[in-house]
Amino acid sequence: MKKGNGSGLRWGISLGVAGILLVYPLLIRNPFYIHLFIMIYFYIFLALAWNVVGGFAGQLSLGHTVFYGIGAYTSTLLFINLGISPWMGMFAGGILATLTSGVIGIPCFRLHGPFFAMSTLALGEVFRILATYWRDLTQGAMGITIPIKFGWRNFIFEEKAVYYYIILAFTVAALGISYWIHRSRFGSNLVALREDEEAAESLGINVSRNKLWAMMISAFLAAAGGTFSAQYILFIDPDAEFSVGLSMMMAILPILGGIGTVWGPVIGATVLVPLQEFLRAWLGSSLHGLHLFIYGGLLIIVVTFLPRGILDWIQAWGRKALPFLFPTPALEKPVQPRPGHFLAWSWLHQKGSSDGPILEVKDLGKNFGGLAAIRQVSFEVRKGDIVGLIGPNGAGKTTLFNVISGFYRPDGGAVLYHGEAISSIHSAYRICRRGMGRTFQLVKPFQNISVLENVMTGAFLQSKTHAAAREDALEILELVGLCGVKSTLGKSLTIAERKRLELARALATRPDLLLLDEIMAGLNPKETDEAIQLIRKIRGHGITILMIEHVMQAVMQLSDRIVILHHGEKIGEGPPRQVAADEKVIKAYLGEEYVIT
Amino acid sequence: MVETILQLTINGLLLGGIYALIAIGLTLIFGVVRIINFAQGEFLMIGMFATFWIFSLLKIDPYIALLIFTPLLFLLGMGTERVIIKPIQNAPALAQIFSTFGLSIVLQNGALMFWKSDYRSMETAYSSAMINWAGLMINVPRLVAFLVAVGIVIFLYLFLQKTYLGKAMSAVAQDRDAAQLMGVDINKIYMLAFGLGIGLEGLAGALIMPIYATYPTVGYTFGLIAFVVVVLGGLGNMIGAFLGGLVIGLVESFSGFFISPELNTAIYFLIFVLVLIIRPSGLMGMVGAEEMGLK
Repeated sequence: MKKGNGSGLRWGISLGVAGILLVYPLLIRNPFYIHLFIMIYFYIFLALAWNVVGGFAGQLSLGHTVFYGIGAYTSTLLFINLGISPWMGMFAGGILATLTSGVIGIPCFRLHGPFFAMSTLALGEVFRILATYWRDLTQGAMGITIPIKFGWRNFIFEEKAVYYYIILAFTVAALGISYWIHRSRFGSNLVALREDEEAAESLGINVSRNKLWAMMISAFLAAAGGTFSAQYILFIDPDAEFSVGLSMMMAILPILGGIGTVWGPVIGATVLVPLQEFLRAWLGSSLHGLHLFIYGGLLIIVVTFLPRGILDWIQAWGRKALPFLFPTPALEKPVQPRPGHFLAWSWLHQKGSSDGPILEVKDLGKNFGGLAAIRQVSFEVRKGDIVGLIGPNGAGKTTLFNVISGFYRPDGGAVLYHGEAISSIHSAYRICRRGMGRTFQLVKPFQNISVLENVMTGAFLQSKTHAAAREDALEILELVGLCGVKSTLGKSLTIAERKRLELARALATRPDLLLLDEIMAGLNPKETDEAIQLIRKIRGHGITILMIEHVMQAVMQLSDRIVILHHGEKIGEGPPRQVAADEKVIKAYLGEEYVIT
Repeated sequence: MVETILQLTINGLLLGGIYALIAIGLTLIFGVVRIINFAQGEFLMIGMFATFWIFSLLKIDPYIALLIFTPLLFLLGMGTERVIIKPIQNAPALAQIFSTFGLSIVLQNGALMFWKSDYRSMETAYSSAMINWAGLMINVPRLVAFLVAVGIVIFLYLFLQKTYLGKAMSAVAQDRDAAQLMGVDINKIYMLAFGLGIGLEGLAGALIMPIYATYPTVGYTFGLIAFVVVVLGGLGNMIGAFLGGLVIGLVESFSGFFISPELNTAIYFLIFVLVLIIRPSGLMGMVGAEEMGLK
């Protein structure tokens, strides 16, 4: 067997578990144990819903009951007032929640970290208060009792087993969505923006749109959970539907299980929900709050000591103790890069072959307050050239890069790329999509994903499928010499490796023009030589390079032409030899007295 | 009508004083330790319950109890900093948010297990004492809380400006790396600032116990208000927190009268979200808020 014994055993166990879960309500007649499983699935479902925006996209919402409550109230009100089937109501609620998530998301996504969490927490409270206050519609704090009329159309069943299969189906669907996100370009984009929004933009990722999509998918699912709960309990009220406790649970379960993974939310809910239900059954209300007390304690321990959750811990343990059940990912699929596929650089030939310069900077200016960071800078970059951009610290080199690559809006002048004005786009991801890649002076590797996944976030810009992105990424890793560390996390790399990773990731977006910001700073002489060779190789494939560099040895060896900036102005331009002898350049770098006349 | 407006203004300002009192500890901790303490309200809850029990069991007056609980909560705060905050000092946002959030869940539900969800209030001789000032009614315990809030702002201001320890604390708040290079023991400063921020909740808890009932989730209610106040005033800014408290107190007083008291919370939470989005640096911005994700 090609996949080895472990794979067969894993499939066997998975099928066995699936089989048991399918016939479970037929075997178990005790309603408590059916209820228990319904609750487990229900919380898995909600945890998976939260995980889309909270885990994959890293936007830590504490107000997901807004969507859950909208789902519950919409389907219930449509059902009791207009007699519309809750199945339809579920979609109506989902759509309403999706729209609400957009209205909330667009402004709130400008906030980060704790501030986003606080604003969603506050909005959850606003909705609870509004639902209590708006008595004409919601019957306020009294709540709404859904009349018991059994039947599929009414989404009300005498047998708990039916609810069991419905929520199981919901959960399987949510798992499918999570798995798809995990493997797709969309998921890769979410992880990238979670790790670093600027770097994600520089790889052609539309950060706002991707966040919004994640929020809307998450909201739709949470609303469906709200409808299910309303139909299961047959009673809704503002305190339950917009409960802070439930918002917390939706976040806590995935965090404990393993945030941003497909199976983390499943593990979190499977471990904790039985605990909660058993405590409730055993202790009744005598020790009300005990389960939350335990959750709170676990939460502190997990985020402090196991930030990747229980799942990661189980996997690490399993790989040691039961290696046939927990294969190491790297061994899962042997990697065979296809030399020549990506490196055919086929995209370079598709771009028009006009003879004009690839990049023209015309009278460009950028001010910060009263300070002119760059003034009236003009130069050209011809196709296939390596142009060095040098100048003392504070000369405006990085600012110039930020304007060219769309991170800053210029205050005057224009940038033409392939003859088209791009300075008005002011959108880094759009400029990247046109074929301009860049690296950052302060490197921004995505810390918590592997080197391979880092490069894949770039490769996904051009490759539709996971497999294609992976192969492209592997070829680039081969080219830049990072294959040996492809499974290492971004945060564990050395400086030299980080710089290469930046280059690899930018290269993966298939640029025809690369802006490199000091990729040799901090390298030792051997690493510098390797980097020089690498840049030659990349240029050899026809990619034009504009590089900011302080390492003179590299600039002199590599550049066809050099542009010198000083105090935001261009003070010289020409071939390396000529520039090195230029008085103004020497003055700028070393001071008046070093000019040899 | 004029009289009503004046009375509403006084009520609002006095209420604002209470909110400011609760919020100052939160803003101090944020400013120095750069942690948003989601469990801040729960320490207030502990202060309130402690004041309640010592009053009902030992008949010790809240204004005396505060002399006991302020230092006790100061110590509790320092201990909490060592055990919970220090390990996540440089951790990513996830850990920073959810460890204090976890602490708030633990304290809230611990209180629920020990003391049940009953509302508990105390009746002191002065609980409803009023000063009649030209026809305007001023509640004495609220006035006391207000004056203490003013006193605390002045005290902290002088402490941060005039004492070595205070200056070291301000230095850490402005630039922790530079402060460390200048020989400030930042770990000690974090511990002291956190203790001070929590100690202030002990003080606030004792001062508001004659006015409000306590229950296990009281900290959640007041904690959220403290967040609103602090964001409005500008995170880390003491005077901002005081002004923010007054603004929220006035908003609550007027919207309660003219709109509906039921909607008070919704209204200031909407203000809160709007402030965060439109002017995240608040009335008086602070250096380094962007480090926490505010831009």
